[in-house]
This record gives sequence, structure tokens and C-alpha cells, in this order.
Amino acid sequence: MSEWFEQRFRDTPWRLQRQAIALIALGLFIALVIGALYLAQSASVATLGRQLEELITQRNRLEQTNEQLRSEIAQLRSVPRLLARAQELGFQAADESSIEYLYVNGYNPNREAVQTVAAAPQQTAPVYDETFIGWLQQVWNDFSQQLSGYSSEVP
Amino acid sequence: MQQTQTQMDYFNQRLPFVIIGMIIFSGVLLLQMISFQQLAPEVAAELRPDYDRTISLASARGTIYDHTGQRLAVNTLEYRIGISPNLVSNRARVATQLASILNLDELTVYEAVNSDQSWVLLAPRVNAEIGQQVELLDLSALTIDKIPRRSYPQGTLAAQILGFVSGDLQGYYGVEGKFQDQLAGRPRREVISNIPFDLPPEQEADRGSDIYLTLDRDIQYLIESELALSVAETNAVGGTIIVMNPRTGDILGMTSWPSFDPNAYLDVQNAADWSNPAISAQFEPGSIMKVITVASALDAGIISREWTYTDQGRIEIGGRVVENWDRLAHGVVDTTSVLVNSYNVGAATISLSMGPNTFYTYLSKFGFGRLTGVNLQGEAGGTVFIPGDANWSESNLGTNSFGQGMAVTPLQLITAVSAIANDGLMMQPNIVSKIVTNGQVVPSKPIALGRPISEATAHLVRDMMVAVVRDGLDEDASLPGYTVAGKTGTAEIPTPVSYRSDAWIMSFIGFLPADDPQVIVLIKLDEPRTGRWASQVVAPIFRRLAERLVVLMEIPRDDVRLALETQGGAVDAVQR
Repeated sequence: MSEWFEQRFRDTPWRLQRQAIALIALGLFIALVIGALYLAQSASVATLGRQLEELITQRNRLEQTNEQLRSEIAQLRSVPRLLARAQELGFQAADESSIEYLYVNGYNPNREAVQTVAAAPQQTAPVYDETFIGWLQQVWNDFSQQLSGYSSEVP
Repeated sequence: MQQTQTQMDYFNQRLPFVIIGMIIFSGVLLLQMISFQQLAPEVAAELRPDYDRTISLASARGTIYDHTGQRLAVNTLEYRIGISPNLVSNRARVATQLASILNLDELTVYEAVNSDQSWVLLAPRVNAEIGQQVELLDLSALTIDKIPRRSYPQGTLAAQILGFVSGDLQGYYGVEGKFQDQLAGRPRREVISNIPFDLPPEQEADRGSDIYLTLDRDIQYLIESELALSVAETNAVGGTIIVMNPRTGDILGMTSWPSFDPNAYLDVQNAADWSNPAISAQFEPGSIMKVITVASALDAGIISREWTYTDQGRIEIGGRVVENWDRLAHGVVDTTSVLVNSYNVGAATISLSMGPNTFYTYLSKFGFGRLTGVNLQGEAGGTVFIPGDANWSESNLGTNSFGQGMAVTPLQLITAVSAIANDGLMMQPNIVSKIVTNGQVVPSKPIALGRPISEATAHLVRDMMVAVVRDGLDEDASLPGYTVAGKTGTAEIPTPVSYRSDAWIMSFIGFLPADDPQVIVLIKLDEPRTGRWASQVVAPIFRRLAERLVVLMEIPRDDVRLALETQGGAVDAVQR
């Protein structure tokens, strides 16, 4: 009796169907997870790319502003303007008689400039402390944020 | 039952073929799908423009500095503002805003905004400040083009040395022209992906090299002011001043009048104003050449300091009569007196004694008739006819000795005389102090063009030039407290048939302190009207210039310098 029961139970068609469905479901779930991770990663890369574009634009604008400011500084420091400003402030041009030359023991104004070679900065190895679980958590957080962002945009 | 069994057998026998066929078919389909993923090159090339866009990154032009780091040429941006009227929604408000920012008439802007045309230019060139204000309006109808422009913040200062950059960002004349390749850098093209998942590449443009000149901005301003004043005082039609370090050949200042504003280079009346006469304009040097003649003869051993001749006031050479400037005979004259009193007959007698071979060999050693090789665009080589040339005759040997019948540039002349100041060693004139490329500094080093005369000869001639200023015709060039060596030249201006009798080119060249020259100055005025001789007109200008120059360059009086040197070394200046 028991042999008959075991054989009947093992060969039950619905049991085989359940196994197949479980396998398909598992495959679908894994595909879904992989797809979701891929989407999240792609979205974060795209966001990063846009941020980089904006930063590059900002950097270019700042460089242009700096160059403009340097030009203005040079104009403000032109000789005619400095002369006029000095005269306004009561300065007078020095002549030969108003210069006193001093002998400074050991000082040679025409000495060769000695450039000190700066010590090369020590190379430090980058630290890789990210774990797979941590990365997975980060991706999941990004994905959650994007989902919450989409849901919050829904009117 | 038997028939059913037979059908099942057939089915079972054919089933593997069907399965194999389906597998093959699926495989073919799969391969075809894979092949779709790999696009054919021509298809990929056709689709590429949709994936990528190519941007051009113009290289930032390098900055030009003087040797103290003051900016002489920089880059700025200008904006060109246009508008597409059909894209403007609130025209009245936009017109009001734009008129306010662009400082234009509101009605004019309103008419432009209401125009039927698809695009209207509102402002061809506005500065960056205004352009950025327009950008902040963030109107899609506006077209804002950024136009890179070269700016010269010191205005007209050193314009002929710097040159200018045209609208196509090409440098012309001066340093801008000579160092176009280094200053301009390399424009770069970068492929940018339109696919949002691709990270943008580095879009930083290359930068051209920065160039530091040997020029001193303060000295340059001083000589430009002095030249403008001198031209006005003497009613001259033009002039040139060059200030150089004879030890290194470094040009500390160089100017000619008239000049131009490189910020508005198109406003000049004549395109010749863009050139630098100090290196390109040729003139007959006149009596300054006597210094070269005497130096050459002394060095060749043809004459000595004690050499004398009998001056009869005139001498005939190759059928041409040469006379002294005063048309008088002076009897027995020695070498020093030839320079001190600037006797044409004496100079011609010396060159005749040398003979053409020796004389022209020395002229070549001093660099006449060829380029100095200064690192500026547009240098001329001068004109010296030598035996064998169709235009040379025996009379040239006599007239060349006092600077007639030949042409030199101001730079050639100061370079040659600087050899006397520099103990016989002639340095190549140089305008570039260093070139900085991506942080890498390449300093320029002094280059010797040669040693036309020995050190002893140079000292002999130097002492004679000191006597010229101290005891001779050029005493108005003397500077109290300093030993100045110098020589004037009053040159006639040639015409196609003869020489003009109503105008002269007057010049003075001098260096100080004579025993340890730190600076050599050439002043040349074209057709001044306030005197007949350079000793009357130009020598006083040298003194006025030198008075300021010794302050700027911190050159102590001779007594102070020598006293301090006896204490053990160099000196530095402290202003009270």
C-alpha cells in the first residue's frame, strides 16, 4: 500500500508542474532584480553625467570671469592710471638726489635666484573599502530614491 | 490497433528530424539576432552623427607679460547678441529689458523685436559684463555668441613690440606675429556622446604658451613719454628710442613714433604704422658710424690712439669730395679728435687706410647688412654695398666711414655699438625673457653674435666716446655724477637723385656708467626743426631721459658706486 502511495505521489503531474512554475518564477525574479539593478545603475550614471556637464560649464564660465577680472586688474594697474592716482595722493616722482644707496654687508642684489625644489608629495594608495553588500545597499538606496522621486512627481 | 501502432512508429521515426530541423532553424534565428547587434560599418557610420556630436575647443591664447609680470596682452570675451522675433512672447517687456541692459534706444529694440525677419542682430559687440547680464534673462529667442578677443590692458604701450591679433585670432607683427604658433596653442576637437549614459570626456581646451618679455613696463612708458614730448618739442615727423642691456642684449624698452592702439588696430591711417620702425626702418646713420670706423681701424692695427693725420678740410675719394661738417681744415688731428670733433675727413682717411677688404670685413663683423635675429617679426637687414656690387664705387669707402651711402636699422646700430660697451663682445638683441608652457619654464639665454673687436680696443674706443661727451660737441648729453660714453649723428636724407638740404635725421647713442655699462640708449629723431645738429637737438634729450633712467634702473652715481664697490660688492637702492 505504501509503495503504491509513494509511486502515485511521485508521479503526480501537478507536482512536476509546480516545480517548473517555481523555476520559471525564480528565473523571472532574478531577471527582474538584475534589470532593476541595471536600470538603477544606468540612471545614476546618466545623472552623474549631467552633473559633470553642468560642472564643466560652470568651470568654463568661472575661468572666463577670472580672465576678465585679470584684464580689468591689468587695466587698473596701467602706468598712466597709477601715475594719476599717485599724483592725486600727493606723491612726487623720485629723482636721483632722493635715493640713498646703502651697502649691506653680505647682500648681493644681483645674486642668482636659487630655486628650492619642493619635496614630491607622497603617493598614497587608494583605499578600496566597499563591500558587495555595501554596493548593493547603495544601489538599492538610489533605486528607492528614484522610485520615491517618480511617485512624488505624480500629481 | 496494428494501424495505430504503425503510425506511432512513423511518428517516432520522424520526430528526431523535426526536432533537429527546429533546432537548426532556431540556431539560424539566434545567429541572425546576434548579427543584428553587430551593425555593418556603413550602417554604424550613418547612425554615428545621431550618437555623437563633435565640438571644437579653441585653445586659449597665451598671455604676454613684461619681465616683472605685468600683463601686456590678455584674452577677453565679447558677446554678439541677436534675437529671433517670432520666438518672443512678451515683446514689449523683452524690448524694455534688452534696451536697458544693452544701453540702446527702447523704440529701436522694440522695432527689432517686432520685425518680420527671422533673426535680427541687436548688438554686434558688447563686453562680457553686459553679455552675462543678457545671458541671465534666459530667453530662448536670444542668440548669444561668445567672441574671443585679444585685449591690451596697457593701451598703446609697447604696441609695436606686441603687434596685434586680428579677428581670425591670427597674430600679426611683433611678438604676436613672431610667436603665433607658441601663443595660439593647438585647437582641439572633441567627440561628445549624445547618449545620456556616456560620461562626458574632459573638455578643457589647450592653452598656448605664456611669454615673458625682457621689456620693463616702466622704462617703456618712460621712453614713450619722452619720445612723444621730444617729437612735439622739435616738430619732428617721427622718431625711435631703444634702451638695451649691452651685457645681455636684452631690450628693456623700444618705441617709435607714430604708434597705434592694438585694441583698435584698424583705426590707423596707414598700414605701415603697424610695423616697428626700430627694427624695420632703414636710415643713413651719419656720424655714429665713425665710432665703428675708428674701432675697426684700431682693432685691425691700422691706426693707434696716437695716430695723426693732417686735416685739410676736404678729401677726394673716387671722384667725390668729402668735407668736414664745418667745412674747415684743422691741421694735425689725432684719433680721439676725429670722434670728439666728428671729422668726416678724418673718418674717410682712416677707411682709406684700411682699404675696402678690411673695412667691409669689419662692417660685416659688426653685423651691418644682415639681420640681428631679434625675436620680433618684420626685421630688415639694412643695406651695405660691398666691392663687387653694381652699386658700389670707391667713393663708398669714404662715405661709409661716416655713415653715408649705407642704411642701417636703429636696432642694428645699437647692437653694433653695444659691442664696444660690452668689452668687444656683441650680443644678439633679445625681447623674450622666458616662455612658460604648461608650467614648464624655458628661459632665454644671452647669445653672442661674435666678437668684432678685442677687449682692449673696446676700452680704447669707450674712452674716446667718453671724451666725446665730456670734452666734445656732445657735452649736452653729459649727466652730472655719471660718466657717459656717446656719439651723435646728423645724417642727410637721400632722395633718388641727391640729398635733401632742408631736413636731417638726428641721433645719439650713449651708454652708462661708461666703465661698467648697464644700459645703452639710442635716440633717433626724423626731421626735427629746432636745430641743425644732433648735438644741439638730441643730446639734451638723452640727458633728460638718462636722468629718469638712472632712477628707474637704480644706477648710483659714479662716486657712490665706486665707494660702495670698494667696501666689497654690489649695491642696491633704498628710496628716502
